[in-house]
This record gives sequence, C-alpha cells and structure tokens, in this order.
Amino acid sequence: MKATFKNGFMLLCAAYISLPIVIVCLSALNGGRSMLFPPKDPTFARFYEFFVSEPVWLRSMENSIIVALASATLAVLITWPIAYDQWKRNTAFSKALTGLAGLPFALPPIVFGVGLSFLWTFAGGLGNIFTGILSHTALLAALPLVTISIGLQSIDRFHLDAAQTMGADEPTILRTIILPQTLSYTLSGFFFVVVLSFHEFIVIFFVSASAYSTVTLQIFNSLRNGFTPTMAVGAITFLLVSIVVFSAVARYGDLPRLLGADPARKDN
Amino acid sequence: MSDLAAASSLVHARDGTRLKGQEGPRADAVQSIGARPIIMTVIAAFLVFVFLAPILLVIAVSFGEKIEGASWVWAFDPSNYARVFVGIGWPDQITLLYAYKLGYTLAYAVLGSLIAIAFAFPFTYFLSQCSRPAQAAWLVFILASLSMSEVFIVMGWDIMLSNRSGLPALFKATGVTAWLKDTGWLAVLKDWGLANPRNVKFKTSQLATVLTMAYLVWPYAVILLYAPLSRIDRSMIEAARTMGAGSFTVMRTVVVPVVRIPVMGTLLLLFVYLLGAYVTVTYFAEPAHQTLPVSIYEAIRGATLNAPFGAAQAVVLLSTAGVFILASLWLGRLAENRGR
Repeated sequence: MKATFKNGFMLLCAAYISLPIVIVCLSALNGGRSMLFPPKDPTFARFYEFFVSEPVWLRSMENSIIVALASATLAVLITWPIAYDQWKRNTAFSKALTGLAGLPFALPPIVFGVGLSFLWTFAGGLGNIFTGILSHTALLAALPLVTISIGLQSIDRFHLDAAQTMGADEPTILRTIILPQTLSYTLSGFFFVVVLSFHEFIVIFFVSASAYSTVTLQIFNSLRNGFTPTMAVGAITFLLVSIVVFSAVARYGDLPRLLGADPARKDN
Repeated sequence: MSDLAAASSLVHARDGTRLKGQEGPRADAVQSIGARPIIMTVIAAFLVFVFLAPILLVIAVSFGEKIEGASWVWAFDPSNYARVFVGIGWPDQITLLYAYKLGYTLAYAVLGSLIAIAFAFPFTYFLSQCSRPAQAAWLVFILASLSMSEVFIVMGWDIMLSNRSGLPALFKATGVTAWLKDTGWLAVLKDWGLANPRNVKFKTSQLATVLTMAYLVWPYAVILLYAPLSRIDRSMIEAARTMGAGSFTVMRTVVVPVVRIPVMGTLLLLFVYLLGAYVTVTYFAEPAHQTLPVSIYEAIRGATLNAPFGAAQAVVLLSTAGVFILASLWLGRLAENRGR
C-alpha cells in the first residue's frame, strides 16, 4: 500500500513534468500552421521545414551548436586549473577564484545579462558571436567547476601517495593519475554546459543584440506570429540532445554521485 | 579587441598546462620559473573581466543620467533609485508603479518556489529510497526536463492553457464549463480573472504565471534536495521504525529536522532564480501584473531605452537576490556548525 502510494506519486509527478513537453512534441506533427492539440492532419513536413527548407532554422541551429561547444570548451579550460589549484593548495587566492567563477550562476540571469550587454557595448563586440560564447562561458562555468571539484575529491589518496613514493613528480602524477581519474567528471561538466547553453535564453538575448540568433532566440523572435509547429521540431531536437547527453553521463559517470549522493552507499 | 586578448591568453594558459603534463623535466623547469602563477594570473584577469566587471558595470551605470532624446552620461545620480521606489515625481507626488512591479516579482517568486518545493520534497524523498540504477534513470529524466528552455516550457503551457485547444476546450467538451455555469462557479472564477462570460480562461492570469514558474523550478528543487535527502542516515529511520514510529512520525521527528536547513537553502535558491524569470511573465501575466525583469528589458533594449534606469532596477533585483543568497550562506554555515 505504501509502495503503491510512493510509486503513484512519483509517476504522477513524472506525468505532470512530461505533459507540456509531450504536448509540444506532438504539436510538431500538425499539418497546418497553428499549434493544435491533438494535432490536426498529422505530418512530418515540419521536420523537413526545420532541417531542410527553411534556412533560418538551420542557421540558428548552427549558432546554437557553435556557442554551446565553444563555451563548454572554454569553461572547462578555465575551471580545470581553478579546481585543481583549490584542491591542491587551498589558498585564499584559490578560494577567491572559486567563488568568483561560481558567482554569475548564482545571480538572477537577467542581471548578469544586462551587465554583459554593458560590458560588450564598452569593450566592443556586442552582437558578435564570440562575445556570446564568452558570456555563456562566464554564466555556466560554475557547472564544470563543481563536477571537476567532485572528481578531484574522489581520487584515491593511496594512488597519489604510491606515485609519490615511487618518485613521480607533480606533472607526472597529474598526467598519469589525476587527469585519467577525473576525465568522466570533466566530460560531465562539459556536457552540462553544452546542454544548458543550448537552452539558455535571457543572457544570449541581451548580448546577441539581434545580430544573430540561436534556436531559442529564433523561437522567441517568431513569437509575434504565435507558436508554430516548426518551432516544436526545434524543441524535440533539443530534448533529444539533452536525453542522449545525460544518459551518456549516467552511463559513463556516476550521476547520483555527481549530484551529491553519499558515495559509500552503492545500493540500498 | 580586449576579448581577443583574453582569449589568446587563455590559449597560452592551456599550452602551459599541457607543457606541465607532457614534457617531464623541461616542464619542471618551466614550472619552477612560475608557470602556475602565470596561468592563475591570466585566469584571474579573465574572471575579473568577464565574470565580475559586468556586475560592477550594472552598479556603475545605475547612477548614470539619462539625457532626453539621446543616450545617457556617467554621473552620480541616485534619482534612478528614487524612481524605482517612489516614482519620478518624488517628492511632489508618489507613484508606486515600479514598487508594485517589485512586489509582483517577489510574490510570484515566493509562491512559485514554495509550490515547487511542496511537490519536489516528497518526490525526492521517495527517489532517494529507490535503487541506485533507478535513481540514475530518474535523474536523467529530471535533468532533461530541467534543461528545457523557458521558451519551450512556455510553449507547452501555452498550448495547454490556450482557449482553442487547451484546458478551456477540454472543459467545454466534457461539460465542466456547463456545470460551472449552472452552479455559479463561473461567475466566481470571473471575479478571480480566470474566466470570461463563455468559458474559463487561464491566459493571461496570475495563476498561469505562478504555476508555470513552479513548473520551471521543480526539477531544480529535486536536484538540490537530492543530495541532503540521499545522505540521511538510514539507520536512524530504521531505528525509529523499530521503536514503533509510523511514517508520519519518522518524517516529523527524523527526516525534517535533519534536512530543514538544506530545504530553506533550496527554497532561497529557487526564489532567486525565479526573480529573473522573463519569458513566463511576458507571456502569461497581463501588462499591469508584470515584473521588474520585463521593465528592465524594456529600459535596456526595448521601448523606453533608459539604460541607467534599467540598471537601477537590475541593482534592486540584484540586492534582493543578494540578501537572500547571504541568508542561505548563513543558513549553510549554521548547518555545518550543527553537524560538528
């Protein structure tokens, strides 16, 4: 009885969470231009429109991918040394850097977006995709910072001691023990940034200054004419990317551990 | 140009790390003359430029002065703040337009985060009792829904609440509307702004705004509550059970006291996140009930074009968030001290 209630409640929550998403996905099948549910004259023509015949979507898809991959790479490259320094030395300086790197993620995004739009207005480059990349790097750097730190903390101290006893210096230990053992955590951080950058709206809205658009921006800009089924195809594409990425993270990394579950308790 | 410089120095920073790793003795020499300080300095400079400078700029610009019919100039003019709280005509007259906007911002964020926690807490508690593989599967689901853009979520709710194909149409088709009319509830709903003479309507309404906001942060709530709830000492719960405590008593006397502080922390983080919600409000709240983020956008990029005033509103939002973040840090420290 208790188990039934438990499962029932969890499934109900899952249904509630999936409902709008499922509805968006099914609306992509609409034959006409308006979003009706259940879909009218179901067809896959919208997929053709999104991926082939309407170049505006492909172009924004390309921008989304460029911004996501580049900012994820940059974020990992910046946060790795910060996390390493903090783990290795734990000085006041490294603590300050860690705090600073996590700061933008903790603020209401619109405030940071406004600040970035001022920054790029003064420094030049507002509306350049390069500044969009840097902006997302700053906004989302907190994620790899956290995953890499968790990865570093999970390294077995015995391995480090053994390597040191056998005469390995810091670069060798870094290369042969630390980097391989934290690889899955680093990749998780990378993919968290990719996915969240894909979906991020408000910061890129401010820094793009309508000079280019990612898929989320393109959808928002087309809102004046209402939602159309073609946009729903974009939503489906993004949803699939998220599911694939997070499944991969769960498959190759320890997802419960990454999200803070007790490492000692493997099952219960 | 300066961003290019920052990026190229980043590339160097990266080369530095690689040197350290790949070329044994020579890398050692490089390190002894200080590769680490150089890398860390470059990164610190980058952080200050892209992470910190935007926040400082918002504060600096908020004191600027708007020139009618033109742009704005640097100044030290606190009138933008006065305008946020008591209106532009102060002290002769007081307009609370923006104070109301702040009020709506706070109200939506409080309600949205409370509703999200109310449903996320039991869910996460049950989740933490599942087997490890089941937990991983659920977490993939939660993360995928968490990453859905606000734009997509609003799109889904828009269809669900729209008059032509959403809940109102469903109500009509199933006869709920007719029943509501007969019993007089439709008139009550109309008073609450949730119906027109013919049928129920959820767009635009404050109910739709708050519910969509709660939906928006629900997955965040699960992720944030997951760590504390899955670290609860099971033996304590089992001990309580053995001694005859029912589920409710266990919840009240064991679980809630342990996680009370993380739950408060989560609530604050969700609240801060919702302070900045933009798409939901523009889409589901009528103009009279809209929030500071919407008017920030209008001042910075939209119709009114008054950057200093937009920045001042952003600072008010930021300070509100800051107060709550400090409170959550303080709560966290309290929790840590108690853990010892």
